[in-house]
Amino acid sequence: MQASRTQIGRQLLAGSKRRIAREPYRCFSCSIRQAQQQTPPPKPPQDVRGTTHFGFETVAEALKEQRVGAVFSSVASSYDSMNDFMSLGIHRLWKDHFVRNLNPGRNPLTASPSGDKGWNILDIAGGTGDIAFRMLDHASTINNDAHTKVTVADINPDMLTEGKKRALQTPYARTPRLKFVEANAEKLDMIPDNSIDLYTVAFGIRNFTHKEVALKEAFRVLKPGGVFACLEFSKVNNPLFDAVYQRWSFGAIPLIGQLVAGDRDSYQYLVESIARFPSQTEFRDMIQDAGFLVPGKGWEDLTNGIAAIHKGVKPA
Amino acid sequence: MAPVRLAKSLLGTCRAASCRPAVAWRQRGLYHSYDYAQAPPFPPAEAAILSSAYAHVPTHGFTIDALKLGARDAGYLDASTNLLPRGVFDLVNYHLVTQRLALKDNVQFFDNGEAGKKIGVGSKVRSLTLARLRANEPIINRWQEALAIMAQPTYVPASLSELAKLADEIWFLAGDQSVDSSWYTKRATLSTIYSATEVYMTQDKSADFVETEQFLDNRLADLTKVGGFIGALGEWINYTGHSTMNVLRSKGVRI
Repeated sequence: MQASRTQIGRQLLAGSKRRIAREPYRCFSCSIRQAQQQTPPPKPPQDVRGTTHFGFETVAEALKEQRVGAVFSSVASSYDSMNDFMSLGIHRLWKDHFVRNLNPGRNPLTASPSGDKGWNILDIAGGTGDIAFRMLDHASTINNDAHTKVTVADINPDMLTEGKKRALQTPYARTPRLKFVEANAEKLDMIPDNSIDLYTVAFGIRNFTHKEVALKEAFRVLKPGGVFACLEFSKVNNPLFDAVYQRWSFGAIPLIGQLVAGDRDSYQYLVESIARFPSQTEFRDMIQDAGFLVPGKGWEDLTNGIAAIHKGVKPA
Repeated sequence: MAPVRLAKSLLGTCRAASCRPAVAWRQRGLYHSYDYAQAPPFPPAEAAILSSAYAHVPTHGFTIDALKLGARDAGYLDASTNLLPRGVFDLVNYHLVTQRLALKDNVQFFDNGEAGKKIGVGSKVRSLTLARLRANEPIINRWQEALAIMAQPTYVPASLSELAKLADEIWFLAGDQSVDSSWYTKRATLSTIYSATEVYMTQDKSADFVETEQFLDNRLADLTKVGGFIGALGEWINYTGHSTMNVLRSKGVRI
């Protein structure tokens, strides 16, 4: 056991060394040490003005956006196959459940003849369209609603290109129901106040530099009664399962990233950013602080808390 | 002596300190208080959506459509039904909770001696149960849907606990003060009788549900019969056992 661990560690080290040699601008020197030692994340330096965390590193706030951009530009093309490998396909079930539970779309049988048709959905950080296509499919086939619109916003043009490419294989390409915009979730100037029925962000919010600002912005664009829904990695409750999960995420995921996508560092960032994301209760409190009402206890755990669905409703 | 007293008083303070939060929490949920108003069972936004959705139940049933229409009536959006994490079951639960809490205002007993005789606990239980069943009347043709939702495995624990709370409420309002094991048997038998009668009521086509009333009376009569039988059986076993012992003793057996 000890020997094999050392061997894996050495392989990982070798792989990362190679990468560092090739791309010196993305050296993750401290994160590599973390991966070898498998220690819990170090305490973030408290209240250093103008810095934020990027995985386990501390970087200048201005730099985080840029570096997250670099990560997602490099994973855009292999995004789906990598998700399948890392989550063993379970991410599809989570996304299906997320959409089914939100039940988007207005059934014309119960809709009043006056009033707006369909929902206006804003999918933040949804570049590849995973959630958007599911929303539109659910609205069309389950609720017989041919009016629900989805605006896909992403900060990363490479992810949006990937989504536009995929949209061509759906019936929604070049229809007014699907729109792609490049936008920062903290400054949604192109979206008017009180105009959105449902704001979703799936596996995106942990990459935001200022989560509170993004939540405030969500509160602004939502109609009264509109729903904020967030699908995000979270904290595992069971300590035994958590040990296995930490082993998997720090040991296997960067390795899979290296083998499948040829990019270890981006996936190292991914697992570190997951470890850094606030727990269910902390994030629930952040949603409440932004002014939302939360349903029930405020979140729903998926697969023992590996991921969680958080919801908030803007008071009417 | 002094150390013992010190230890005792320490223990006392510890106990008091550890008990206080628990008691404060319990007072909210488990005790009937005559001095303090009970907190409303639902937060305001949920209550607004649920109460207007409840008005749509006779036409749309316990469905997501009723919830959406209710949300619209309350000034919310279709999407706002996400505020109810259990969806349709929250609507069923709303009916159960509000009708249970309405029971104490709907049924009043005047046994201050003006009618001459006191109303027994048994007949109070009967009229309370009947009043609770009558509260199902407006939505009785949709109640089978609700029973089906309540029978879904995820919701069975919540439904059973609500049934237990109803049985407890009825016995409390009837003035039952038992502090022995009959506390449990009374609530268990009433729960069984209530749920059976409720199922019967969904099929009842008679005018003003007289057959349901008859059904309830028969079940309560069965209960007294069975209760009497068990009491008699216990008496018989007790008597026979003692006699057997005494006969054996008289024959010189050392027991």
